[in-house]
Amino acid sequence: MSEPRSRDHDEFLAAARAAVAGSTGADALDALGWWDLLGMLDDPDARAATFALFRAHGRELGDTPALGALAAAPYFATDDGTRTVMAFSRPATGGGFAHTLLGTPVTERILVDTGAAAPVLVEAAEVTLTPVAVPGRLTIHAVTVAEGAGIPVTPADGLEAARARSAFLARVAAAYEILGAAEGAFALAIDHANGRVQFGQPIGTFQAVRHLLAWAVTDTRAVESVTDVARDLDVAAPPRFDEIVKALAGRNGRRACERSLQVLGAIGFTAELDHHHFHSRVLALDAVAGTSAELATALGAWVRAERPDPRIAPAVLSA
Amino acid sequence: MSKMPDPTLVADVGAYAAAVDGWCATRPPALAAAVRPIPDYATRVEVMSDLLGALFDAGWSRYGWPETLGGLGGSILHRGAMWQTLAAHGVASMAVFEHLEVLLPTLAALGPTDFVADALPAFLSGRERWAQGFSEPDAGSDLAALRTRAVLDGDAYRITGRKIWTSWAKYGTWCLVLARTGTTESRHRGLTAFVVDLRHPGVEVRAIEQANGTDELAEVTFDDVPVPATRIVGDLDGGWKVAMHILSHERGTYAWFRQCFMYRDLIGHVADGPAVSDRAVGDALCDIAAVAATSGEGLRLHASGATLGPRATITKLLLCEAERSIQDAVLAGNADLALAPLDDTTALLRQEYLFSRIVTVYGGSQQMQLETIAKQLLELP
Ligand SMILES: Cc1cc2nc3c(=O)[nH]c(=O)nc-3n(C[C@H](O)[C@H](O)[C@H](O)COP(=O)(O)OP(=O)(O)OC[C@H]3O[C@@H](n4cnc5c(N)ncnc54)[C@H](O)[C@@H]3O)c2cc1C
Repeated sequence: MSEPRSRDHDEFLAAARAAVAGSTGADALDALGWWDLLGMLDDPDARAATFALFRAHGRELGDTPALGALAAAPYFATDDGTRTVMAFSRPATGGGFAHTLLGTPVTERILVDTGAAAPVLVEAAEVTLTPVAVPGRLTIHAVTVAEGAGIPVTPADGLEAARARSAFLARVAAAYEILGAAEGAFALAIDHANGRVQFGQPIGTFQAVRHLLAWAVTDTRAVESVTDVARDLDVAAPPRFDEIVKALAGRNGRRACERSLQVLGAIGFTAELDHHHFHSRVLALDAVAGTSAELATALGAWVRAERPDPRIAPAVLSA
Repeated sequence: MSKMPDPTLVADVGAYAAAVDGWCATRPPALAAAVRPIPDYATRVEVMSDLLGALFDAGWSRYGWPETLGGLGGSILHRGAMWQTLAAHGVASMAVFEHLEVLLPTLAALGPTDFVADALPAFLSGRERWAQGFSEPDAGSDLAALRTRAVLDGDAYRITGRKIWTSWAKYGTWCLVLARTGTTESRHRGLTAFVVDLRHPGVEVRAIEQANGTDELAEVTFDDVPVPATRIVGDLDGGWKVAMHILSHERGTYAWFRQCFMYRDLIGHVADGPAVSDRAVGDALCDIAAVAATSGEGLRLHASGATLGPRATITKLLLCEAERSIQDAVLAGNADLALAPLDDTTALLRQEYLFSRIVTVYGGSQQMQLETIAKQLLELP
């Protein structure tokens, strides 16, 4: 990517941060014209702008239904103007599936796809939304769908293609949001290192503290570089690269928060500071579309069974 | 040397990679010899030199270097693609030729053109090899404290001093020596980089056996060795800039070349080990991806004339993390490497495993890298 393109990326991010910080729910997305981007994801700039929202979302602790909207997009051939949001499903402890809706709901229609049965579209009136109270400034609802509710969805490009695309977009977007939230936690730690005085000097002068922070930025930089590769290569990314990206983001996002917490000391573990919001945001997103533990385990089994070739070729880097 | 560049291959790295792949698929004898496990380092040097010769004769290793210096044009992306392809065909490392991607980019950018135009093809073809003489017994992390002196005498400098941990000096033809041309108090401002002929009288190389059994390290003493002023790399008293240029490659882009071989280690030596969890294999795969992505960005930036700057340091930390996580898994899956490394494959695994424990020291220790990040990127007090 040439320098001018990276300047564009900085501008997308700045605009997204301003929009997400200034308003919540659909308003933030409307302000950015974000919904329109969903129909243009083949375009590299539109894709970059779409994903920039998620980094901003993490950094500013935004509260929109964007992740579910992005995940739902591949199931529908054209944008019919209805804002459908996907609920994220995962196997429930007692059997069956648990569904979660992220962000202030703005939709009349919820897409539910457990992967075990045909995806269905349910009217908001047909489901029970139970608010979940965890920090992170993200509205979360547990969704209860009545047996047999909803109408089946038949994606134009076939179900498997839609699922794969949806998972790719959701994982890369969630990785960006984890990155943004980890950067938020890290920024608090940097401020603290510069301002907090112990033994007569800022704690940022102590090597033990400096090295914690250097590791934290290394953690986030790794996430940034793989998510950027996924964003830029898109469908040309190596096989299962979205899973690698998401696994790395979850693992490193948590690490960066933990290192930042250590630098903050006790204040970091309280409601007095936003660190716990950033940390909880990272935990929440790590749990969506495959946790880092689940994905790393599945990737390892895949490597063993198939000896695939997950290389990034230099030829695609120059594109 | 007369070979003409193929404009398609210069312009299209993908086509170039496919062409190299096609060549490898014909199983040239030099390649077949290099993919066998060779624990004896001197033999490995010979075999790799032969492979480099074959790659040069076929023209492949000349892509990625300027035509004015004996290359065939193209960028570092070509070099990245060549080594990735060689790794995919079973080559285990760059053995003794690491400086093609550590020193040579700096020589090509800042070295005296006439000299480099001869030296670059000689190195690429495996006829000559290079070493880097920075560290001294009393100047490790504190490199700017180095004391090897270069004193002007007519149109030559006379170099006297002692270098240590000079990798591959035993097998080297040339050494890039960082020497003091200013006063001791001048610290990093009074240093100059010289190309010194290791075969010259007054140069003494004493190989040092490493903990993993190879003799890659060496101590090199220089006793009043004359070096023509035309063999200065960069400017007089500009040696620090040269050193930083080299380190930006050693820490940033070199990681690309190293990671090419990591995935092979992972599937070749870990995937079958029952004591290694799927999770550990998956985590290692993620670690490799992080190195590939960060160093890939370095490659792309260098190809367009920019650099990673201090961010190269982060790439080095990620490289070390990946080396460790993969080699932890290798050890977990191959107890024989600790107890009975009897066959060639296990003997090599042992070498690699042990080496992965010291990667956090070469090219600047991990603590120094963390300090660089804290100071230059995070601007901590
Ligand atoms: C395999 C290998 C190959 C090498 N190849 C070359 C080569 O080809 N050419 C060359 O010139 N050199 C080479 N080196 C040398 C390498 O650059 C030095 O080893 C390195 O810079 C560290 O110096 P030192 O070993 O003297 O350790 P020291 O500087 O003595 O450090 C010892 C320990 O103290 C720590 N330490 C030192 N100062 C500080 C500080 N201010 N804050 C916190 N911790 C500190 C270090 O992190 C380290 O853990 C090689 C080294 C290795 C291991």
